[in-house]
Amino acid sequence: MLRRSAIDEAKKGSAELLILALVEGEALHGYEIAKQIEARSDGTLSFTLASLYATLYRLEERGWLRGRWVERAGQRRRCYYRITESGRKVLAAQREDWARFIGVLGRVAGVRPA
Amino acid sequence: MTDWHARVRRHADARGARLAAHAVRELAEHLEDLQADARARGLDEAAATALAEAALAESDLDALTGSALRRDPPTTTAVPGLGQTPAFRSLSMGHALRLAIRQFVHHRSFALVTVLVLGIGLGAAVTVYSIVDGVVLRPLPYAAPDRLVTLWATNAEQGLAHDPISPVNFIDYQQLDVFEDAAAWWRPDVNLVDPGLDPVRVPTIETGANLMAVLGVAPQLGPGFPRDEPYFARQPLVAVISDRLWRTRYGADPAMIGRQIRLDDTPYTVVGVMPPGFDYPGGIDVWQRSTWDFSQHSRAAHFMESVARLAPGVTLAEADAAVTGLGQRLERDFGATNRNWRVRLVPLLDEALGYYRPALAVLFGAVGLLLVIGCLNVASLLLTRALSREREIAVRTALGASPRQLVTQLGAEALVLSVAGTTAGLLVAWAALPLIAATTPVEIPRLAEVSINPRVLGFAAALGIGTTMLFGLVPALVLLRRSLSADLRAGERGSSRGSRGLYRALVVGEVALAAALLAGSGLLIRSVARMTDVPTGVGNPDVVTTSVQIPEAAYPDWTETGALHSTILERLREQPGIRGAGAANFLPLEVGWRQPVAIEGDVLPAQTSDLPRAQFHSASEGYFEAIGATKVSGRFFDARDTPAAPGVVVVNASFARRYLEGRTGRVVLMTGTAGIGPLGRNLMPRTPIAFGGQQVPVAKFEVVGVVADIRDAPLGQDVEPAVYFSARQFPFRSMFLAIDAVDAPTALAALRETLRATAPGIPVTSASTWAQRLRARTAEPRLLMVVLIGFGALAALLASLGVYGLFSWTVALRRRELAIRLTLGARPVSVGAAVVRQGTVLVAIGLVAGWGLVRAADTALSRVLFEVRTMDAASLGTAALVLASAALIACLPPAIRAMRVDPAEGLRID
Repeated sequence: MLRRSAIDEAKKGSAELLILALVEGEALHGYEIAKQIEARSDGTLSFTLASLYATLYRLEERGWLRGRWVERAGQRRRCYYRITESGRKVLAAQREDWARFIGVLGRVAGVRPA
Repeated sequence: MTDWHARVRRHADARGARLAAHAVRELAEHLEDLQADARARGLDEAAATALAEAALAESDLDALTGSALRRDPPTTTAVPGLGQTPAFRSLSMGHALRLAIRQFVHHRSFALVTVLVLGIGLGAAVTVYSIVDGVVLRPLPYAAPDRLVTLWATNAEQGLAHDPISPVNFIDYQQLDVFEDAAAWWRPDVNLVDPGLDPVRVPTIETGANLMAVLGVAPQLGPGFPRDEPYFARQPLVAVISDRLWRTRYGADPAMIGRQIRLDDTPYTVVGVMPPGFDYPGGIDVWQRSTWDFSQHSRAAHFMESVARLAPGVTLAEADAAVTGLGQRLERDFGATNRNWRVRLVPLLDEALGYYRPALAVLFGAVGLLLVIGCLNVASLLLTRALSREREIAVRTALGASPRQLVTQLGAEALVLSVAGTTAGLLVAWAALPLIAATTPVEIPRLAEVSINPRVLGFAAALGIGTTMLFGLVPALVLLRRSLSADLRAGERGSSRGSRGLYRALVVGEVALAAALLAGSGLLIRSVARMTDVPTGVGNPDVVTTSVQIPEAAYPDWTETGALHSTILERLREQPGIRGAGAANFLPLEVGWRQPVAIEGDVLPAQTSDLPRAQFHSASEGYFEAIGATKVSGRFFDARDTPAAPGVVVVNASFARRYLEGRTGRVVLMTGTAGIGPLGRNLMPRTPIAFGGQQVPVAKFEVVGVVADIRDAPLGQDVEPAVYFSARQFPFRSMFLAIDAVDAPTALAALRETLRATAPGIPVTSASTWAQRLRARTAEPRLLMVVLIGFGALAALLASLGVYGLFSWTVALRRRELAIRLTLGARPVSVGAAVVRQGTVLVAIGLVAGWGLVRAADTALSRVLFEVRTMDAASLGTAALVLASAALIACLPPAIRAMRVDPAEGLRID
């Protein structure tokens, strides 16, 4: 089995959290989500097309997101993703989990937020 | 512009990833944004494209296959499926309907075939239901029509079940308490002559003044017959005319009441015009008030028709018992005339419909079968569709689509199909009804009044929507139940086994019903063939028949009347193009007067009433020759047979066999009344003969010839012994002419010319050849036959479609199994033969079940058949052969496809 870097592992685990957090405030389409993740992480985090959309579809199937094709003035028809009520609950729970986890990382491994 | 859709697709295909359409689209949009952003950052077109290309290249689209598949049906269609729609979780009926419509826009051929099958089935059903509703179920246009009954004389000994009644007996029946009132009439057929207008023969009845009151219908104009006068009033002569005659002949003259019209040269005052649509007892234009006392006639003369209204609270059974009781009493009191005669009550509606009641019942049954076949067909179509979506449904269920949502969606699809099918059906009926009314070769009572009414509309909607919902939802529910429990992967192929059983049952059902329909039409074909094959004794099918009536007012003398008929015939024969002409008072297929006869020299019974009866006809010289009758022995009539010469008769072969041991030269004694019926009079002298001590005047007639039987009874009854008198010695005013001419127009022109020269004022009525008359006699079963053949053909087509669908589907499903067999060395022929064998088994089961259905419908069917049993081997065999051939042809293409399965290809299927 291939060994993955810590970032890869963390990325995989945190992808759902990141996406849910991004669409918490407003509905975004896939490209915007990708761009914002890349911009906010200064390029540290980026998804391939496949992993981004696979995650989106998975979240939607679980009922945490809802995608809707919308045509906005002056733009092409895009599929916008919006968080659902159950998505919000999951997001809150994940934030708590991650906060606890990062705290543990700091206390145990001396990891500090950058 | 870069076509990112195409690139994403190519990339996915190259990696064997199966992407849903919407995923392809989303990825393409993403790449386009990426490219546009790069351009915006200052990269040139090539570099921007390369960047986006790289993003696509590094993506392992396989990761999307699974999840993307979950959002779409397995087929890569652009139409969103259930789980794909954002509104899926709260699927409303409106949304489900929109989705369903989009589904069908994309699966056009499936939707079209389904709607077409439903449309044809429903259209036929609504058409027939409309006719049944309008003709049978709707009440007659009379007051409380279900209280009206008709009276018919029966005679068990003579095998008569539907004979006119004697006027004297009628008066007795009219007095019964079970009747509120009763009216009787007979049909004289009179000539209507008006100054300045062509004389015409008008269909007339001479009736008691109470007829309209019994029916509860008042004239639209005028007071109608006076009711306060005695029942039989000699004067004044009054008549009521039809709306049709009033409009066509008198231009709807508002001053019609009080106007005089000349009926048979006698002036009648018009006292009423009946409302439009009033047509009783059928095709009548003039109702004359009868001028003679019904009780002053003979109990033996049966020529009156009658209708009675049941008294309030009296049931048909009670009335029946009362008339039977009276019949028995009359038989005791008047044995000479009333022996074995009874009266039977027939509800007016049954009487008015005649053949159509059983025929419509059969038609209704047939169209019901057709509709069920259509529904089964739709059911199997929906089932195939449901089965091909089995995996989709299973995936959706596994993904958490609730059964309610799935049922909503499947229900919406069934609803869309059924509404479209019902609409198509109504369109078919709407187009077919006026077409049928316009083209039907026979006069179906009340057909012109038939239309699609709200009742029919409701019936159609209920039928269409109910059947489709049932057949659309049930297969879906069966699938749903299974997919809830079945393992997704394992269920892919194996779970279809049960559905295949259901499918087979549907196809067997279709074949069975189609077999029943085809067998029914086969039976009708045989019936019509039997009818046209019945020997009538008329050897000249082209003989032109028409009728002439000599009015009493202008020719009161009977000798003159007879002579005028002879003169007309003589002149007619001299006209160009005429080969021969004759006249008789009854045409073949009609029943003559039944009268007692005696043979001179035989032992006479004590009473004349114990004498055997034979039919009395009157025929002129040239009549037998013109119709092409066959002479058995002796001679036919000629100009010598005048009232001054000795009395002569010709008898038919049945009479000669039964009473004369086949010999001519014996003498027939006529004991009955000198005049038979109001239109004829025997001119021969009578001498008294002793009957049991009583002197009875009789006229003597020598049998000079025997004619081969000319059918003197309706089709389906035995030919009766008949005596033909010479028309010169026994003249009637109204005679049918039989003209042997080169063609019908020549015959009519010659007759017109002859009448102008010999008897101006006597109208010519319409003429038809004997072949035409015979065709008209069989028109009703012929029409039923044509309709049933159409239904049968349609049913066979639908059943074949079902067989084809079943085996196409089975073969497609079993490709892998077939491929393995072929790999293991099975010969393609044996694989194909297996399909045909299975088809044969299904069809055989269907045929046996179909015969069962025909047997079950035995009672209804036998009422419309003629000399054919419902289990007629030829009809059933032919039906089976037609259906089996059609069904086996239908399973040939799938069989050929099965033989051509490529062993390797079969193994590749997932």
